[in-house]
Amino acid sequence: MRRQNMTLFWKMIEFLRPMATTVFLFLLFSGYPLLHAASDSPDAHIDSNEENSAAVKYVEKTMSTPAAFEKKSSDEYGDVTEKDDRSVPVATAEKSSDEYGNVTEAEAGSTHAASEKKSSDEYGDVTEKDAGGSEELHIADPVEPWNRAMYHVNDKLYFWIFKPAAKGYKYVVPEDVRGLLSSFYENLKAPIRIVNNLLQGKPKYAAIELAKFFINSTVGVGGLRNCAKECFGINGRYADFGQTLGKYGVGFGFYVVWPFLGPSSPRDTVGWMGDWLLRPQSYVSSEWISPESVGLYAHEKINDTSFHLGEYEMLKDAAIDPYVAMRDIYIQYRTKLIER
Amino acid sequence: MKRWFVRLILAAMLIIPVHAFAGVPLDTVKTNVNGVLDVLRDPKLKGETGKKVKEQRIEAAADKLFDYVELSKRTLGLNWNKFTQEQRKEFVGLFKNILKDAYVDKITAYTNEQVNFTKEAPLSETTVEVQSVIISKGGETPIYYRVMKKGSDWRVYDVVIEGVSLISNYRTQFREILGNNPPKTLLETLRKKAGKK
Repeated sequence: MRRQNMTLFWKMIEFLRPMATTVFLFLLFSGYPLLHAASDSPDAHIDSNEENSAAVKYVEKTMSTPAAFEKKSSDEYGDVTEKDDRSVPVATAEKSSDEYGNVTEAEAGSTHAASEKKSSDEYGDVTEKDAGGSEELHIADPVEPWNRAMYHVNDKLYFWIFKPAAKGYKYVVPEDVRGLLSSFYENLKAPIRIVNNLLQGKPKYAAIELAKFFINSTVGVGGLRNCAKECFGINGRYADFGQTLGKYGVGFGFYVVWPFLGPSSPRDTVGWMGDWLLRPQSYVSSEWISPESVGLYAHEKINDTSFHLGEYEMLKDAAIDPYVAMRDIYIQYRTKLIER
Repeated sequence: MKRWFVRLILAAMLIIPVHAFAGVPLDTVKTNVNGVLDVLRDPKLKGETGKKVKEQRIEAAADKLFDYVELSKRTLGLNWNKFTQEQRKEFVGLFKNILKDAYVDKITAYTNEQVNFTKEAPLSETTVEVQSVIISKGGETPIYYRVMKKGSDWRVYDVVIEGVSLISNYRTQFREILGNNPPKTLLETLRKKAGKK
């Protein structure tokens, strides 16, 4: 089953290459007039954001009336127990409406807070959108022992190898140069964004990314500067193959942590391989995995890490269970990327 | 049924002037965040004593900006009701300390980043998302502050960094612990963590 999928995947790649070339050339000539109009339109995710909040408002509106109703009629904690048998209501004299009162009590306090609080408590759909949190985002973790082990491996890799390397690198290479290199790598990844914007049915953004690629590669001196943005104010749209698969309806599958690569899932692993094929850096030698391509990847990572030193430490320190925290960050981040 | 819905929505739209508060939430967050940035960039605050002063001022700004009780309620969700009054108070205090230890400490190292406040998007009638982006040489990081009207003030109840909600993240962790353990165990864990610093 898996093998079948893989050959299918390779066939798709074979098929896509000439297709993509043709489409690129077509877009190059036809895409330019679109550019101006397109970059004027707000970012796609902002649109969806607004839709989302409108939806939230709608849901809340519809929810709040009956909610407030129940609240008034029922006693302080009856409502919550009904919906959630896990909750053990505290039967103290909670008539006081101070901040520390029962949440249900606080709800009854003010009408506005009522709908708000209501939704955050009842862990229903509204809560999820309301708290912005992906409260219902769950991912199966059938290989947790492996994942936890790999989490520790990556943790050690970071503290023992990547962090010292990035620190030394940061010390030697000036920030401006690192900034140029980071733009350079970002520019090289344009094919990933172009192809995936196309696959996600966003040809306009594919055209923009293509134009960005040409501008940055020429005026931006081989991509050392993001001139498209700095000189012309052109904003692209991030896209990757795992995201494309997600948009096609492929689920995460389950959570898996790879050594070196970090949190992933079967879907995003396939996505990562697809992206690897679209990176020009992968073709520096005739083999897929060669010292050159891996070296380039390592440099890209270390250059990137040099800008983010201290962030992982902060996350880890802030977490109660760093493994669970990282897993949640992974699902939240990837889900958001697919939703927008 | 359909008409009932339409009427309800219309009524709701008329009652709640979503844009009545336009600008205020953003300004509130912006003022406080910029205050913190000014403290961070203050060249007079150097060395160990400078760092102490910095931390104190950031804490003061954070206290004004964040609503720790709301943060706690939202991270615990329904589990909040399992806690007694005393446990709730202790939880809020511990959670606050953990957040401070984790973030205030670390942000004193940041100086070069530029923060732009881009816009505010209403989430519901009482909540607004204030969107900002941190620009550094390594790229851009979107940070969204979710604020809620508390009395006359707007207070932050969630921070969303690159699409990852802080509150949801803690909720997942707390739920895992509270799934098999009483609130006492969670408080114990938090006490240990907060005590380490």
